[in-house]
Amino acid sequence: MTLLQTLKNAVRKRSIHVCYVNTGSCNGCDIEILACLSPRYDIEQYGIYVHNNPREADVILITGAMSAQWIDKLPDLWDKVPEPKAVVTIGNCPISGCAFNRPGALIDPPVSKYIPVTAAVPGCPPRPTEIISAILGVADILFENYETKTEEKP
Amino acid sequence: MKKVVDVSLPIGPVHPCFKEPARIKCETAGERVIATEVELGYVKKGIEKIMVGRPWQETIFLAERVCGICSVVHNTAIVGALEKISGIAVSPRAMHLRIILNELDRMQSHLLANYSYCYTIEHETLAMYLLNLRETVMDAIEIMTGTRIMAAYVVPGGVREDISAETAGKILDAIGHIEAELPRFVQMFATGPLIALRSKGIGVLSVADAKESGVVGPTARASGIARDAREQEPLYAGLGWHMITRSEGDNFARIMLRFDELFQSAAIIKNALAQLPDGPVRLGGRVTAGRTTHTIEAPRGDLTYDIELDENGQVISVAIQTPSIMNVEVGSHAMMKNLASAADVTSTFISTDPCIACAER
Repeated sequence: MTLLQTLKNAVRKRSIHVCYVNTGSCNGCDIEILACLSPRYDIEQYGIYVHNNPREADVILITGAMSAQWIDKLPDLWDKVPEPKAVVTIGNCPISGCAFNRPGALIDPPVSKYIPVTAAVPGCPPRPTEIISAILGVADILFENYETKTEEKP
Repeated sequence: MKKVVDVSLPIGPVHPCFKEPARIKCETAGERVIATEVELGYVKKGIEKIMVGRPWQETIFLAERVCGICSVVHNTAIVGALEKISGIAVSPRAMHLRIILNELDRMQSHLLANYSYCYTIEHETLAMYLLNLRETVMDAIEIMTGTRIMAAYVVPGGVREDISAETAGKILDAIGHIEAELPRFVQMFATGPLIALRSKGIGVLSVADAKESGVVGPTARASGIARDAREQEPLYAGLGWHMITRSEGDNFARIMLRFDELFQSAAIIKNALAQLPDGPVRLGGRVTAGRTTHTIEAPRGDLTYDIELDENGQVISVAIQTPSIMNVEVGSHAMMKNLASAADVTSTFISTDPCIACAER
C-alpha cells in the first residue's frame, strides 16, 4: 500500500459526512438520528458529521417507507452524491414498510428497489447506539482502499 | 399592483435545517422575501385509509406511528376516543400515569423544537445543551414505559403497567435535573443579544391573523390566544395547570413560551407523582359500536380524532386532525411575508414547530 493510500484511509475513516433523507417516515427514526448528535452519544467524536447535504455526503441514511413522491426523486438524489458513497437504511420501514405495508397505503417498500442499499438497521425505531455502530461498521469496509478495489462498486 | 420578483428561491425538500421533507418556495426581491408557499406531500402514507376495516387493537399501533415525536399523545387520543364511544371507566391512578407520560412527552417535544430553532439560527452551543437535556427526559420515558419512542403505554381502561416507587423516584430525579439545568439555558436564550437580533420582531403573527387562521397550540398562545385543550380535562387544573400566553407573537415569543411550558410540565409531573392515588391501573371494558370526536392537547396544539366503530370493534371511518397543518399554513400566509432576509424563512418555519409527518400522515 502506498503512503498516499494509507493517508487516504486514515483520513476517510475520521471524516464520514452523513445526510439523512426522510422518504415517508413517521419522524421516530429521524429524531433518533438527531439524538446521536447530542453530547451524550456525541457522533462527532467518531468523525461522523451530519450535514444533511447530499452533495457533500458519504453515507446517506434513509428513513421511511418510500412514499410516492420520492420514487422519482430518490434516484436523482442518489446520483448527486459523490463517490465513494453508501446507503444505510434506518428502521423497519425501508426494509418492509413496517406497520404501513397494507393494501391501499401510498408507499412502495423496500427502498432497495430504487437505490443500492449497503446496510440496514432494523427496529421501530432503532436506538441511537445501533445507528452509530451501523455507520461505523459500513465506513470501515466501504471506504478502505477505495481506489484499488477491483470488485463491482456498490 | 404588479409584483416584482427577482428570484424564486426553493428551500428543501432535503435541507440542513429541516428534520422532515418540505419545500418552501420563496418569492424574493433582493434579499427581502415577499411571499412564500409551502409544498407538502413528501411523507404521505395514507394512515387513515389503512386504518379503515381494521380492528381497534391495530389502530392503536397505527395511530402511534402517525408521528414519532408525539407518539404518546396520538396513543392517548385514540384510546380516549375508544373509551368515550364505549363508556369505559379509567382508574384515577391510570389517569395520573397518563398525565405524567403526556407531560414527559410534551417536555421532550418542546426541547426538540427549541433545539431545532437554536440550530436553525446557528446557535449550536445552546442547541446541543437542549438536545442533551432532552436525553434526560427520554431516559425518564424509557424507565416508565420500557422504550424511548412508540411505547403503546396507554390502553383502553388504563395503562399497560404500573410504576413502582423506585421508578417514580427516578422520574423525580430526572425532573429535578431538568429544573436545575434549564433556567441557565433559558437565561442564555432570553438575554443573548445575537439571538434577539435573529428572533425578536421576526415572523410576527398578529392577533387578528391568528384568530382568522385558526392557529393552535404554542403558536396561538404566543400570539395571545388563550386556547389549550387541557382546560377541558378537570384533572389538569388540580395538578397546577394554568394557561400561559404571550402577546408579542414573534419567533422569540414562541420559543420562550415553550420554555415556560417546560417548567409548567415539570411542575405538573411532580404534583401528579405526589398525589398519585393507589389502586388498579387497568380496568375492564368492551369496545362497542359508535362514533365520537375526541380532542386533546398535543405538544403542538389541538389533536382531534373522529372515529366510527362497528359492533365488532372494526373501524368504519376515521379522521385525524393534527395541529401542524394549521400552523404550517399560517406560517406561509402570515408569518413568512415581507421578511428582511431569506435566512429568516427557515427559522420562522421552524419556530412554529412544524411536524410534517403529523400534517400529512
